[in-house]
Order: sequence, then C-alpha cells, then structure tokens
Amino acid sequence: MNDVLEFRNVVRAYVRGVPVLNGVTFSVAEGEVVGLLGRNGSGKTTLIHIAMGMLFPQGGTVRVFGLSPTERAVEVKKRIGYVAEDQVLPRTSSIAELIAFHRYLFPRWDAVLERQILDRFSLHTKSKILGLSKGQARAVALLCAVCHRPELLILDEPAAGLDPAARREFLEVAIQFLNRAGATILYSSHYMDDIERLGSRAVMLDEGKVFLDAGVDRLREEYCVVLIPARSVSDAEILTRVPGYLRARRHYGDWHTVFHGSPEAVKKLLEQSLGSNGIRCARTNLEELFVELMARNEEQETP
Amino acid sequence: MQILIRPGDELPIYRQIMSQITEALAVGRLQPGEKLPSHRELAEELVIAPLTVKKAYDELESLGFLETQRGRGTFVCSRLPKLKMADQREQIEAAARKLLSLAYMVGVDLGGVVEILRKAEDELLHGSHSAASRAAG
Repeated sequence: MNDVLEFRNVVRAYVRGVPVLNGVTFSVAEGEVVGLLGRNGSGKTTLIHIAMGMLFPQGGTVRVFGLSPTERAVEVKKRIGYVAEDQVLPRTSSIAELIAFHRYLFPRWDAVLERQILDRFSLHTKSKILGLSKGQARAVALLCAVCHRPELLILDEPAAGLDPAARREFLEVAIQFLNRAGATILYSSHYMDDIERLGSRAVMLDEGKVFLDAGVDRLREEYCVVLIPARSVSDAEILTRVPGYLRARRHYGDWHTVFHGSPEAVKKLLEQSLGSNGIRCARTNLEELFVELMARNEEQETP
Repeated sequence: MQILIRPGDELPIYRQIMSQITEALAVGRLQPGEKLPSHRELAEELVIAPLTVKKAYDELESLGFLETQRGRGTFVCSRLPKLKMADQREQIEAAARKLLSLAYMVGVDLGGVVEILRKAEDELLHGSHSAASRAAG
C-alpha cells in the first residue's frame, strides 16, 4: 500500500531550544483512519500544520502523496480536505456563496454529498455564516472539506466545543464520506469515544515524539492498567525492568502502571517479580488508558 | 438491526457487535438464513467505521456463524456451529459468580437462584408469554 502521509524525524520549535516536535516519525497508508492523540501542547496541531504546508519543519521531512507540501503547495492542497477547530469562514458570505467558491476551485465537486450534508444539518444556503451556530458552522466547514472528494481528510479537533448531538452528527457525515469515498483520514481529538468510533489506529504524541502507535482494538485488548500497592515496590526502577512496561505514576497509595500484555500474563509476571499478591490488572477503555499514560506523577519522580 | 454500541465499554466495538449478534442468534431474534445489513449500512446506522463492522463480520464468518454470498450480501449460516465449551466456560463461570454474589446480597439463596434460572430457561425456550401466563395460573 502507498503511504499517503509520511513524517520522518520531524522537528519543530517555536522557542529556540524548546522543540515541540523532536523527531516524529510515522506514516499513514492509503485508506487508513488515524487518530492523533496527545495532551494539550503535545504538538498535534503543529504536526498537522506541517502536513498542510502551513509550517516548515526545522528538521526531518514530510511527504504528502509523496510530495513536499511546501514546495508543491497547490498540487497537494487540491487533494486534501481540512477542518480545524478554529477555522475562520468568511462571516458575511452566505453558505451558497461559500459553496459556489469551492465548487469553482474544485471541479470534482460532489453535489449529492453536498445536498446530503445540507439536509442532515438543516442548513439553508441563503443563511449567512455569522448567523450560524457553532455546530452548523463546523458542518459547513466539513461540507467544504469533503465535497471535493479529497484523497486525504485532515481534521484538527473537529468536534471541540460541539454539544454531544452535534458531535455525533459530525461523525455521521465523516462516516458517510468514508463509505462513499474510502479516503484516508488523519484527525486529532480529545474525545476517546469518537476515536473508537471512527479510528482504526491511534498515534499518541508525548514529549515531542510518537509515544505509542497501535490499532485501536489492539490498545483495548493487548494493553492493561495495573494497580500495585506502593509498599510492594521498594524501588520504582524495578517496574521499568519488567517486560511490557510502558508507564508508571504514583497515585494515592498505589502505583498506577500500564503494561503491554494480557491482564492474566502481566499479573503473573508482576507477582513473580515483586513477590506481591495485592496486584489488580484490567483491560481498560481508551479514555482510562490515555489518562494512565499521560497523567503527571503526583508525588515522586516517574521511574 | 438492533445493536447498541458503547465505545467506553469493556469490550472493543467489534467485539460488542460480535457478542450482540451471537446473542441475537441464541435467543432466536436472528434466524438461520436471515440477511444482515451490509457492513457499510450497519456502519452508518451505528456511526462507526465501516472497517470495524467488517472485522466483526469477518470474525463471525471464520467462526462459522455468518457467510458471505458474493454479490448478494452477508447471511446467517443455515447450520450454526456449536460454541466450544472450553472457550466459553470462563465467561460462564464469571457470570455465575456475579449472579450468586448479587443474589446473596439481597438474601436469595442457591435454591432461589436455581428457580430463577429455570424460569429464565422457560422464557428463552418457549417465549416470555407462556412463562408469564403459567406463573399467573
């Protein structure tokens, strides 16, 4: 399969010496749906801006459809659809004017999909942008992003600030688009439920690098959260030496840790290596996994 | 098709679809030979990625519950496989522990639980109506 998007050792700092991205490497194959996760400030938007050719990487390379998004900007952008949380639409235009403009730019316009989205969100083409609710405005942005049938759809926190019903409607349209066009999607989100609904793979950024890159189902089935009583861990470093170790943090009287492996196997392994029997292991949902992997340590240094 | 998806739940979404389809088969809500919605249709209905539905269908197909007829769609197999006891035993035992602790907590003893199980079996096999009318009579 061809890579639609490829980041290789991408580095970017806003303040000299303080890189937001410090060697990010991953690629997205044709037809993949990848959720980009990470805490606020982890560089998700910076990475997306680099893919869009809106920012230069200061180190490393980025290729979109095998091309440089800054050198071949027009060619690349024609094949991308983009929706961002803070996207600004021309406030005094009507929806009809905005659609006409996009239709002019993109000859491959899908009028059927346009009608579907307008109906789904009860949008009247005569309405002016400034009179729309946040959810409706985001729907118009999505319409403009998908109706030219892009090969790559990039969504930067598309659901941020929307109510749960609007979020679901937005997702419905994304899935209809996926069904019609079978495009590749990269999207960042803090809504783990949405990641599970739409995504097949999750890429987690932390400290400027890809911390975890795995299929969403694998994250659910092959990773587990383990609670270990603090008293049974004499030295936190011991944990890091147990196979499958990912993260540990102190939380009240326990170590909260994440391991790669089935709960049964990890439990056995830890009981043997720590000689403790107060260990609880469980598979968990994405939200809990994200918190356990990304939450800061309370008391002591992480091992 | 009546499937309820809960993304934050214990099981990944494709597993939720699998278990709800096998459940529907076990209680007869889905019949052998019945046609299922295409994976794209079900994806739109449940608002989840089409690949996730496909994964659930593929797994059920490899277990012998579903079959794809080219150009016609996905169907429930006319002869359903028996689940291997070994695979399911753990789940049944876990459910039994849960059931018993719940019963003890509200003061129902083992005999009472067995009675409840008999009634549940009756409902499953003969439909809830006959069980209810018998209980009334």
